[in-house]
Amino acid sequence: MAETFTFGEMLSARSVIGTTLAELGETHDNLWVLTPDIGATLVEFRDKYPERFVDVGLAEQVCVGIASGLAYDGNIPVVSGMLPFLSMRALEQIRSDICYPNLPVKIIGTHGGLVGNGGSTHYAVEDLALMCALTNMTVTSIGDPLMVGEVLRQSMAMPGPLYIRLAVGKSDKVLYEPGQHDIRIGKGIVARQGTDATIFTHGTVVAQALEAAEELAVEGFNVRVIDMFTLKPIDADLVAQCAEETGGRFVIVEDHLAYGGLASRVADVVADRGLHLTAFERLGIPQVFAGFGEDEQLRDKYGYGLEATKAATRRVIAATA
Amino acid sequence: MGQPTLIAGETRHTVAELEELAFELRSKLLHLCGTYEGAVHIGGDLSVADILTVLYQYGMNVDPTNIANPARDRFVLSKGHAAVCMYIAMAMRGFFSYEGIVETYGQLDSAYGMHPCKVQLPGVECSTGSLGHGLPIAVGMALSARGRGDTHRVFCVLGDGETGEGSVWEAAMAARSNELGNIVAFVDRNRQLMTSFAEERVAFEPYPDKWAAFGWNVVMVDGHDMGQLVAAVDALPASDSKRPTVIICETIKGKGVDFMEKNLAWHAGRLGAADLEKAMTALNSTRKKETV
Ligand SMILES: Cc1ncc(C[n+]2csc(CCOP(=O)(O)OP(=O)(O)O)c2C)c(N)n1
Repeated sequence: MAETFTFGEMLSARSVIGTTLAELGETHDNLWVLTPDIGATLVEFRDKYPERFVDVGLAEQVCVGIASGLAYDGNIPVVSGMLPFLSMRALEQIRSDICYPNLPVKIIGTHGGLVGNGGSTHYAVEDLALMCALTNMTVTSIGDPLMVGEVLRQSMAMPGPLYIRLAVGKSDKVLYEPGQHDIRIGKGIVARQGTDATIFTHGTVVAQALEAAEELAVEGFNVRVIDMFTLKPIDADLVAQCAEETGGRFVIVEDHLAYGGLASRVADVVADRGLHLTAFERLGIPQVFAGFGEDEQLRDKYGYGLEATKAATRRVIAATA
Repeated sequence: MGQPTLIAGETRHTVAELEELAFELRSKLLHLCGTYEGAVHIGGDLSVADILTVLYQYGMNVDPTNIANPARDRFVLSKGHAAVCMYIAMAMRGFFSYEGIVETYGQLDSAYGMHPCKVQLPGVECSTGSLGHGLPIAVGMALSARGRGDTHRVFCVLGDGETGEGSVWEAAMAARSNELGNIVAFVDRNRQLMTSFAEERVAFEPYPDKWAAFGWNVVMVDGHDMGQLVAAVDALPASDSKRPTVIICETIKGKGVDFMEKNLAWHAGRLGAADLEKAMTALNSTRKKETV
């Protein structure tokens, strides 16, 4: 199915999860799929492998706990659900029952960021900070829907836990032609080349960053966009390379708290490696409990929308060393 | 203790009047679901409509003119995804205007959206939406009332699916351990979760026995029978008694609209103009049957 989608088209990441898991269930007879009543997209797997499908109802903690038990016994469990509840209700199970024994459990879910118009209980805005803090956890945030399938496939060979963050996942822009990039967990993707500045981003706002870069090109700016879909372990070499090649001018844009997510991880690399930057701006969610509104409206309101991204990029380009 | 006290100047509704109010609530819910661009949790709104009508129009001592009145009963909508049903029930009780809900629902900076937010909508007692949080909070409110010697009650409405969360049972244990007879929980037992029928996934039955085993006073009613709901409220033990009460309401998800009833596709959805008419016709036909 990969060939039928090209750049700019919309595709549901959830449907990609559904078909990928059903496909992986065939090649991996120890793959289990678990969900706390968020099973609509898992129907294909459920119908093909009912004996390896567990829907516990409304019970995130036991869902992750069961996944741990399955993994202790040699299975590969994938827990699929809504991230605010998986990453927080079941946080201790993730930490002590999965990360501590370093088990190959994948946590995949939706509602990362100010998306879906559900209000603050339904926005996972601190999940990446929480997950990045956990020893042994690999943390990803994916915008391109086809990449979700690719990362899931690669994850089958991973020995430890993995977190995969999506936005709403109902309609996502296809960003990359299949085969266009070498997609590997732990390696950032150069989504757009450029030398004037680098925008580091992840997840649902990668599309917006690319749009900003295209519009800035009309103004004569040549902006690089890095899809840093793996936040942990971060691709530190790529950060260093961008510092060198784009004049040490960094903008980080993310649909997550501005402190604690990708911006903080990039800042850590800058500090640890002693990189010399000319300018550094972080755009993301401030310390608020956001209310209602469509995704784009909330991004604009909180200063990490398209216009804010362009403005910040112009500023870092104009900054003097 | 019998019937709850009333804010001065009020009269008590009859069962027939309450039925009319519940019909009006359902009509308004469908209207919103038919005009709003996004999804509304209409299935669980329609199943809980009679419960919220009896609470806001009969059972709870509320004060729309002074939302901070310390003597008011407290209300926690633990199944927060039925927010819109609560907003409209509150509007019908005089807390705010129904038009204000319809005009701004789900929009940027609106006080009204998918889950209740106390920060943006004072009058709502507590922000909910993540299931399994309401009953623990209700226990805290009830403990506080007990500690102050206040006689108001704390009402909490839960989904049956929601009671799969362990925190609900931790709270049930805490309510009994602290002898909180001032707590009244209503469970909207519509036997559906989001993606499955409840019993396919979770062995809830014997459901009343579970609550009884936790030491609660258990009352079973048809959650769409206004007479039974009123009787259950009338028979509540005194708020200074020691056993918390759960009223398990047998309900139908999507109640009142034939194509939504017991249909997993209508956990949440959007009607659109054409289907709104269909839904209203269906709802109207249920009304005739009941009043003839
Ligand atoms: C902790 C948590 N997990 C998942 C959800 C998503 N969700 C919203 S409603 C729902 C089903 C709830 O079923 P039930 O409690 O029976 O409510 P009802 O059927 O009355 O709508 C789910 C899974 C949530 N809001 N909170």
